[in-house]
Amino acid sequence: MMEEKNVTLFDVIFKGNDAVYGLTEKAIDDAIAQYGADKAVAFPDTAYSLPCYYGVTGTKVGNLGELKTALGVVKSLMTRNPRLNDAFMSGIATALCAEFIEVLKYVDNAAPYSEPCYGHLADAVIRELGVPLVTGDIPGVAVILGAAPTAEEGVALVKSYQAQGILVTLVGGIIDQCEELGYKTGANVRVIPLGKDVTAVIHVVSVAVRAALIFGNITPGDSAGLMKYTMERVPAFVNAFAPLDEVIVAAGAGAIALGFPVITNEETFRVPKSLIVQPDVSKFNATSLEARDIKIKITNIDIPVAFASAFEGEIIRRGDMQVEFDGSRVDCFELVHTKELSEVEDHKIEVIGPDIDEFEVGSKHSIGYIVEVAGKSMQSDFEPVFERKFHSYLNCVEGMMHTGQRDMIRIRISKDTFNAGFRVKHIGEVLYAKVKSEFAAVVDKCQVKVITDPEMCTKLRHELAIPMFDKRDERLTTLTDEGVDVYYSCIMCQAFSPSHVCVVTPERLGLCGAVSWLDAKATNELDPQGPCQVITKEKVIDERIGEYEDVNEAVRKFSQGALEDVSLYSIIEKPMTSCGCFECICGIEPLSNGVCIANREYAGMTPIGMTFSELASMTGGGVQTPGFMGHGKHFISSKKFMKAEGGIARIVWMPKDLKDQVAERLNESAKELYGIDNFTDMIADETVVTEDPEALLAFLTEKGHPALEMEPMM
Amino acid sequence: MALKGLDIFKLSPKKNCKECGSPTCMAFSMKVAQGAVSLDKCPYFSEEAKASLNEATAPPMKTIKVGTGDKEYSLGGETVLFRHEKTFVSRTRYAVTVCSCMDDAAIDAKLAEIKSVDYERIGERMFTEMIYVNYAPAAGKEKYLELVKKAAGLDRVLILGCEDPEVAAEAVALVKDQKPVLNGANASNYEAMSKVATDAGVTLGVQGADINELYDTLAALEKLGNKNLIFDCGVNSVKEAYQIAVQFRKAAIKDGNRTCGYPSIVRLDRLSGGDKHLQAALLSLFTMKYGSIIVLDQMTYAEANPVYGLRQNLFTDPQKPMKVEPGIYPLNGADENSVCLTTVDFALTYFLVSGELERSGVPCNLIINDAGGLSVLTSWAAGKFSAGTIAKFFAEQDIEGKVKSRKLVIPGKVAVLKGELESKIPGWEIIIAPREAVQLVKFMKEL
Amino acid sequence: MPFTAKSGKFNAKINTVEVGTGDKAIKLGGENVFPFYTFDDAIENAPKVGIEITDGGMENEPECVQNLYEGCTTVVDMAKKAVTFDGVDFLSIRLEGGDPNGKNKSTEELIQIVKDVADAVDVPLVVCGCKNVEKDAELLDKAAAALDGKNAMILAAKEENYKTIGASAGLAYKQIVGAESAVDINLAKQLNVLLTQLGVDAKTIVMNAGTAAVGYGFDYVISTLDRVKAAALSQGDATLQMPIITPVASETWTVKESTASEEDMPEWGNLEERGIDMEVETAAAVLAAGSDAVILKHPESVRTIKAMISELI
Repeated sequence: MMEEKNVTLFDVIFKGNDAVYGLTEKAIDDAIAQYGADKAVAFPDTAYSLPCYYGVTGTKVGNLGELKTALGVVKSLMTRNPRLNDAFMSGIATALCAEFIEVLKYVDNAAPYSEPCYGHLADAVIRELGVPLVTGDIPGVAVILGAAPTAEEGVALVKSYQAQGILVTLVGGIIDQCEELGYKTGANVRVIPLGKDVTAVIHVVSVAVRAALIFGNITPGDSAGLMKYTMERVPAFVNAFAPLDEVIVAAGAGAIALGFPVITNEETFRVPKSLIVQPDVSKFNATSLEARDIKIKITNIDIPVAFASAFEGEIIRRGDMQVEFDGSRVDCFELVHTKELSEVEDHKIEVIGPDIDEFEVGSKHSIGYIVEVAGKSMQSDFEPVFERKFHSYLNCVEGMMHTGQRDMIRIRISKDTFNAGFRVKHIGEVLYAKVKSEFAAVVDKCQVKVITDPEMCTKLRHELAIPMFDKRDERLTTLTDEGVDVYYSCIMCQAFSPSHVCVVTPERLGLCGAVSWLDAKATNELDPQGPCQVITKEKVIDERIGEYEDVNEAVRKFSQGALEDVSLYSIIEKPMTSCGCFECICGIEPLSNGVCIANREYAGMTPIGMTFSELASMTGGGVQTPGFMGHGKHFISSKKFMKAEGGIARIVWMPKDLKDQVAERLNESAKELYGIDNFTDMIADETVVTEDPEALLAFLTEKGHPALEMEPMM
Repeated sequence: MALKGLDIFKLSPKKNCKECGSPTCMAFSMKVAQGAVSLDKCPYFSEEAKASLNEATAPPMKTIKVGTGDKEYSLGGETVLFRHEKTFVSRTRYAVTVCSCMDDAAIDAKLAEIKSVDYERIGERMFTEMIYVNYAPAAGKEKYLELVKKAAGLDRVLILGCEDPEVAAEAVALVKDQKPVLNGANASNYEAMSKVATDAGVTLGVQGADINELYDTLAALEKLGNKNLIFDCGVNSVKEAYQIAVQFRKAAIKDGNRTCGYPSIVRLDRLSGGDKHLQAALLSLFTMKYGSIIVLDQMTYAEANPVYGLRQNLFTDPQKPMKVEPGIYPLNGADENSVCLTTVDFALTYFLVSGELERSGVPCNLIINDAGGLSVLTSWAAGKFSAGTIAKFFAEQDIEGKVKSRKLVIPGKVAVLKGELESKIPGWEIIIAPREAVQLVKFMKEL
Repeated sequence: MPFTAKSGKFNAKINTVEVGTGDKAIKLGGENVFPFYTFDDAIENAPKVGIEITDGGMENEPECVQNLYEGCTTVVDMAKKAVTFDGVDFLSIRLEGGDPNGKNKSTEELIQIVKDVADAVDVPLVVCGCKNVEKDAELLDKAAAALDGKNAMILAAKEENYKTIGASAGLAYKQIVGAESAVDINLAKQLNVLLTQLGVDAKTIVMNAGTAAVGYGFDYVISTLDRVKAAALSQGDATLQMPIITPVASETWTVKESTASEEDMPEWGNLEERGIDMEVETAAAVLAAGSDAVILKHPESVRTIKAMISELI
């Protein structure tokens, strides 16, 4: 705790601030004595006067007299209570003094800085750098201050940032260190030496301030807005090398006030997330990126063969195969596992067990890979969403074939690919790169463990993977509409069905069958402006049919007013609309008082008197058609399936194929809801009835189908 | 709001007698709701039920039929204002005008020009379906009647533009079996004209000095019991014609004003002031906005190519993408040895892909699969564009007998099909195209 | 009893976006009624018509267009000539030569052309990219910089490159940002939202919601435009109230109706007439569906569409 020390951080900052202020005052007074108060003072090539002072106060400074007045304003910031705000303001005051000192260098001197230093940067440079900063093509701005312990370490640090596309600005000794080792600098390589005096640091602050004015539409003088913008939108940070003097610490307070963390190798005061001590200079990069929450875009995958969707359908035949991992014979699994940020070291690829070159050609082995991810917005519900993409990722590798999922995977690697140098760790590289780039919105860090040790695979499969899969399944089956606070809209298919909106709930997946509630949730998190939006369900209108005021509002909005209201659980009253891509369609069969379901694959006639395509043409297109509704296959066994009309007991007919697919879960639900065993045996299919409702009724009567006893639907 | 199938079903006899042609009453009711069949097909609906349903299901805009046989056209009958709401049902029809004021040579030339535009586009015959035969009193009745006879020989639906009831009666008598349109009723002659039209059983076109007079004349004709009408958007100005076309359609469909619920006729031959390009622009405008019949000075390929394409696009089911005919399309002078590419029969895909391939200049055979008119990924997801369906299509179409090349390029979006295709159609080298059509030019050149 | 129609005037209206500077500046949008429905309410700003030239100069133009630019040798000559044609409200320069799969001209070369053209004319300028999203990001970023102060329209930012183009054109240089999406109302909306989240002022965005030549999947264009206007006006959806600009020429002059020679298609007749009518009919259709501006190539098309607009407004 800083209070326990004799000298507090506040003391240091205030002292540094006072020192700089003294120097500034003297410099201005000297200048006035030399040139007179009317002498013009300005930075070249900027429309923003003294950008930092102008940004903070909204006042332009044109001559030395005004500069002197401005110094008075700066003085007013320098309050001396041991409070955070005072420290920040003194930091800002220090920065402004630095700007004043720097601008004086330009009096009667158009070019006070010479190669390699830049000094003040023109507006044109800010506009040019601002665009990639806004787009994230420049993911961050590093301000390196002072001299590294050795020139080699300093240059290595500069190089590491440069490789990540980060803009590097240099102040003080580090400039000499770069020159000493002949390291190339300049705006074109995005390493910009500003100046050797510590006050030159203001030129990068000036960049941040002008970025806020130009790109953030911040009004000059709106200092709160300015600091909010630099905090949120300018991903800058400071690396200050020991030794730190009071002036540097005071300037550092200014950086922190703007939202830029300071990382130093000097044992000094620590302020969480703002003033960070990292004694190991080689870790400055990682520490800085984490502190400023900078994510580096992954653009290439480091593997010796090609990666493209063109290889997705490649089949590797036995004869071309170097090695095979086969989950049907030995223990294999693939898993995404959410961890704490501190538990994950980004881009660590760990191989546990023998590599491919230790295996006999054509042999079968165990494999398990665990992709461990961490992120502030990561949720374990996203794990299966990532995991399902593995199939496509690994198949895109040239000469690699992947089938199955979870612990039933099979992977083949071709001889050519092996000969090109492909090894087990490259599986990790692919998974790392794809997960990190495609799910950047939620994954901050990612590491991969690839296990080929058979015993460990067996152990982890049974002790880690299977329990996790079970837990997820459990979560899926226990997720109920009542158990969640929000549903999601899905309008992916509005291109075809302009007014259609799917309301996706845990128990009612999208009617295409492809979007579950968890998928919709993940889609929403990953692409907040995308097709899946949050729908609240706070204002119940009718519990029985599942009608909510907020759901209706959402549907109205997303259908552009074409739809007024929908129920979630009825096919008669305000049923949900259907697009064109539903897996199944159900419709009322009046004689039997039930519904028939036809799936897309079924080409024959139904007892309703219409085929799937006839039903589809009448129901599709985002129009409410009472008595008929498109839905996904999985919805058939849902307890919410036409709940308002009595639920799944209404199902009287469906094609055999479909029945076989849903039998297990449908029977389970029927048992649970009505205590009926083998409910599917009571449901007719095309092998007993194709189109005659009378015959259907006879069949149902014989079986004692519950629908016959239920309330009339109409 | 249109009636739902279920509401109709509730009033149905529920006998499932199949006499209407539908297997069940439910199926029948759904079709009635959709407007696909008429309630009259069922002999068992009670009169009471029919009356109430007819009132409720009666379309806001009448369907008027003109012409006969394969030249019978439905006009109007629309239920929506925008195509994304529901399919527009009655295509705009185009007429070219001839006038008894023209000399014989000019008339013959015009009639020859009308016949010259006749072609097929995505399975539809495109030609000028109607002829507007205009009566110029100064040229005399006989010349007009001769012209009517001559025009009738072209096997097009005639629109007789004539405001003189006596001349009209004679002209109509010549061609009434062809069900022409008689366009010429106005505030001063409508009773006589209505009699001519109803006696002959033909549709009557109604004109007015302005929108109000037109409306009043329509109302007066309805009062006489004539509801076989078309309204003429007038010749005063483009602006007024547009106003009439739009406001009447809106009034009929949105506000249930049945007096406005008739098809329209737009006289571009008079409104374009002899500016043929302006006429082309207006042709497109009024096809988009509610012209049922558009009368033109000329219809050459220059006007026809775009407007028939536009019409084909406009009058498609918004839920059902337009399809092209499956088969082999040789491009850039391809022969049997040229490389093959395959994709789906979704019209938009076809146009994009064939356009880019043509830009590449590389001779190639584009093989269009029967994929239900869906886009690549949609049809793939629906199982309509898989290795199996491609192989089946190749066998059915005898592709291997028709082309010698054994290089097949498949869309980048379905790269996943490669392996399976290699085993399903052995002997073919399967090549993956880029994911987007725009990248095809470069790809083809480097292939 | 006279005909009485319910008013089709909406409370919401399309944003008014000014392009260009000085006397020749134009205003797009501002209407609160459907296209040309002047009987519902007055339409303050008639739709505007632009003429298109390309960095390729005469080289890529159809013969009939070349004839009208006779005597021009440079792109600048053509620009000067283009703005003299009857009915031209603005000039559009399409940098198609930048396409890496085509001529792959350097950004510097193309930007020099843009600068020269900008210096030579005083009408509002629209700069169109080459359709390659990576190249456009670079090209249009530099174009926005080169046209600083001209209040030009940069066409267009797409989902893949909106950050660069939005930041450059919308934030750094305060130009008008074109937002291009592929015939889908939701994509159009999403892009507008993304651009505004980036900080671009919604009142400086103009949409290109997708385009096609009539007959070539134009059904999607109609429905997208119809729906965008309906959402903007009847639903008051502020994220879709941007005016719409539709580049027509680049679509219609490549289809076979406009390119097949008279030797190949003798029954089709005069090629120039076919090209003009294809362009004119497509332009009329997009205007009828709600476009607030069209970009055309043939001067006769420009005159015609301008004439149609003045007949209607």
